Amino acid sequence: SASEGDKHLGGKLTGSMDPILEILTSSIAIDQRLADVDIQASVAYAKALEKASILTKPELEKILSGLEKISEEVSKGVLVVNKSDEDIQTTIERRLKELIGDVAGKLSIGRSRNEQVVTDLKLLMKSSISVVSTHLLQLIKTLVERAAIEIDVILPGYTHLQKAQPIRWSQFFCSCSGPCHAVALTRDSERLGEIKKRVNILPLGSGALAGNPLDIDRELLRSELDCASITLNSMDAISDRDSVVELLFVATLLMTHLSKLAEDLIIYSTSEFGLVTLSDALTTGSILMPQKKNPISLELIRSKTGRVLGRLVSIIMVLKGLPSTFSKDLQEDKEAVIDVVDTLTAVIQLATAVISTLQINKENMEKALTPEILSSDLALYLVRKGMPLRQASTAVIKAVHLAETKGITINNLTLEDLKSISPLFASDVSQVFSIVNSVEQNTAAGGTAKSSVTTQIEQLRELLKKLKEQA
Amino acid sequence: MAPAGDKLWGGRFVGSTDPILEILNSSIAIDQRLADVDIQASVAYAKALEKASILTKPELEKILSGLEKISEEVSKGVFVLNKSDEDIHTAIERRLKELIGDAAGKLHTGRSRNDQVVTDLKLFMKSSISVVSTHLLQLIKTLVERAAIEIDVILPGYTHLQKAQPIRWSQFFCSCSGPCHAVALTRDSERLGEIKKRVNILPLGSGALAGNPLDIDRELLRSELDFASITLNSMDAISDRDYVVEFLFVATLLMTHLSRLAEDLIIYSTSEFGLVTLSDAFTTGSSLMPQKKNPDSLELIRGKAGRVLGRLVSIITVLKALPSTYNKDLQEDKEAVFDVVDTVTAVLQVATGVISTLQISKENMEKALTPEMLATDLALYLVRKGMPFRQAHTAVGKAVHLAETKGITINNLTLEDLKSISPLFASDVSQVFNVINSVEQYTALGGTAKSSVTTQIEQLRELLKKLKEQA
Repeated sequence: SASEGDKHLGGKLTGSMDPILEILTSSIAIDQRLADVDIQASVAYAKALEKASILTKPELEKILSGLEKISEEVSKGVLVVNKSDEDIQTTIERRLKELIGDVAGKLSIGRSRNEQVVTDLKLLMKSSISVVSTHLLQLIKTLVERAAIEIDVILPGYTHLQKAQPIRWSQFFCSCSGPCHAVALTRDSERLGEIKKRVNILPLGSGALAGNPLDIDRELLRSELDCASITLNSMDAISDRDSVVELLFVATLLMTHLSKLAEDLIIYSTSEFGLVTLSDALTTGSILMPQKKNPISLELIRSKTGRVLGRLVSIIMVLKGLPSTFSKDLQEDKEAVIDVVDTLTAVIQLATAVISTLQINKENMEKALTPEILSSDLALYLVRKGMPLRQASTAVIKAVHLAETKGITINNLTLEDLKSISPLFASDVSQVFSIVNSVEQNTAAGGTAKSSVTTQIEQLRELLKKLKEQA
Repeated sequence: MAPAGDKLWGGRFVGSTDPILEILNSSIAIDQRLADVDIQASVAYAKALEKASILTKPELEKILSGLEKISEEVSKGVFVLNKSDEDIHTAIERRLKELIGDAAGKLHTGRSRNDQVVTDLKLFMKSSISVVSTHLLQLIKTLVERAAIEIDVILPGYTHLQKAQPIRWSQFFCSCSGPCHAVALTRDSERLGEIKKRVNILPLGSGALAGNPLDIDRELLRSELDFASITLNSMDAISDRDYVVEFLFVATLLMTHLSRLAEDLIIYSTSEFGLVTLSDAFTTGSSLMPQKKNPDSLELIRGKAGRVLGRLVSIITVLKALPSTYNKDLQEDKEAVFDVVDTVTAVLQVATGVISTLQISKENMEKALTPEMLATDLALYLVRKGMPFRQAHTAVGKAVHLAETKGITINNLTLEDLKSISPLFASDVSQVFNVINSVEQYTALGGTAKSSVTTQIEQLRELLKKLKEQA
């Protein structure tokens, strides 16, 4: 490890750092991803230093051209990282000194790595959130447009995975892939916009904890880095990792939604349910069993929820009981953010691919709409004729039971059969045994009637427009 | 126990439910707390049923007066629960039937417990969030007002729990109890407002999953129950527990902030630090050791963060990969919400009590401001005389080391001593060793200068006004 003089943290410390500690302390492997934003922030800070008369104009020019060179090296993937570089901030400063000499040392005046690292992280998160938002909106759009096309398809809706009532595929697919699930995903999109608001508050100019002593123009920094506002309190700016936790949470909830979508489609694509078929491109076979077509794309989407929740809990745990203001514990944050951003980006795109190539099996969906699924409609029929609901339910149960004992389906009971249960049954009861009638009766906003689903699709298209603007 | 046939859902069932399952399935012990909101929602639904001509006016009157009677019983604590009541909805319907007879059976027409329970939960959460918000704003106010009073107190600011730089108590207390921590808590308050937005969307009228088939006026329901809007999709309305998870998350992050505040104050109240003293009312003694004064209040605040995080993780885990739309898994939600509401409500009030009665030891704070804390300022002194920062940092490190070897504090080095390290040191160096000069130089927004802290306090007061409006 470097001797006292080389390690710029030396100060009053003598001797070398313990080698295991050195490994743990080093964050370079992870935070190289911050190279671009670190340079961006340093450019802004250098300009502010010149304005505060800490740098002369020639010194500023040298620093800016040095940073530009390093930026090129980063984009070409040729920025050399030394073993002794503790983190990316150190690397860049070392490289800058190699390029322009001692004047590089003036860049850090009044600046602390505490504020440098949170600024870098926020800049990274700003752009990451935009990328994730864009992918998410694409997924929602795919769901909604699919729902619009397949609006006439009807299938069983499930509660407790038992056939409940008939619903439109678009209602469900919307729920699990279309308006319903699309609705859940629009909330995720909304949340991303809300947290972006808090990410967009610039910490730079907070020093190590006490602030900046050089009359630095924080407004200039804000405008250079395109943040909406600046942090109110320097100590909070340094300690605060709320944005990180919030991003991890929003990601976790989004992943949870996707895991539910995945579970639904995995179940519906079993040969037993047979309601949907995945595109081959999103499945794999088995080396041993030739008949296999496994929905691994969905399984991976579902599984990644664990890692993302884990990252969330990790960071909350890091923060719990942590004394003010900065402690090395906080170094854990970047890996969590980067892992979650990468996971989300991949998973959302995969989900979009699954949804856009999914085939539905209308024949099986129709077959699955067995008559007993209209039982609540039969009860409603009696209610509309004046019978209290509880009695109506009891009557219908008797009918279901009767049909079972006769070995027929409920729609094949004769009118006499029905009248033996209740005199309120009349010949118009045959209208109940129509799937389209069933879904069409749910006209109240949000229901399965075609008019209602059409409205939902329109509302979602409007919402998508709004969310695109804030992305 | 009752045969399954007698149950609300008895219908096609014969025989009894397994007794262990019956215990697990029953949520009545927990969901009794929803009695009031359940009645509230039923009143609204009954009115909507009358408007839809499902109930006659006399029937509506009977139902409303029956519900009013039950409401009185609940508030007097004399509402009787039967062993066979599976949940609070069942209990209330049973009691209504006892009071008004068969007309009670018409109340549930077109309604499902699926949309009943989420409506109840949202109503409960709406008011709980208001209560929590109010307590939170009171805590923030206490912090800010205290910071305003004690603005002239200066003490060490810490990073890595090592003395870093002098700061104003108000900056820190704001950070950990005043503006800084107050700032963190204002973000919590902002988040509560954001989630309240999504809680404030009424699910009632979604049926079991497919919607409502009776031309129910959902707008009437919305207005009666004072919601901002209605759910867009019935299946999402039934499955969605985002608002539960969001509330648990906001609570977790709030508790994490409070755990850090608690940790700070616990450390600062040790005899070794001796910077603050808790009011006796918030401490306990030891049955064995007479000298003890334990900061139990703060330890409990810190400790409760675990339970709240646990509730969050539990519900996320419940939701992961859950098929659409309703499953009994979701029953776990209420207990989590109640526990967290109760915990946060209590903890916020205790925290406010601790903060408002805390005593600070100005003497010890002053003593703690040891001269080496001004090392950064000494480095800045050299920087202002033209030395690059890294060199200045090294020079001051040498000075600290030199003082240590001489067994004196850095401000007692002679000018010759200093000049032996760098010729840039001159007689004006004595101005550096002044704590007030130190804090006053951080004039950039957010820093510890008196003008800056005063501004922060004003900004927080403004923010408090805004947050009060949305609470």
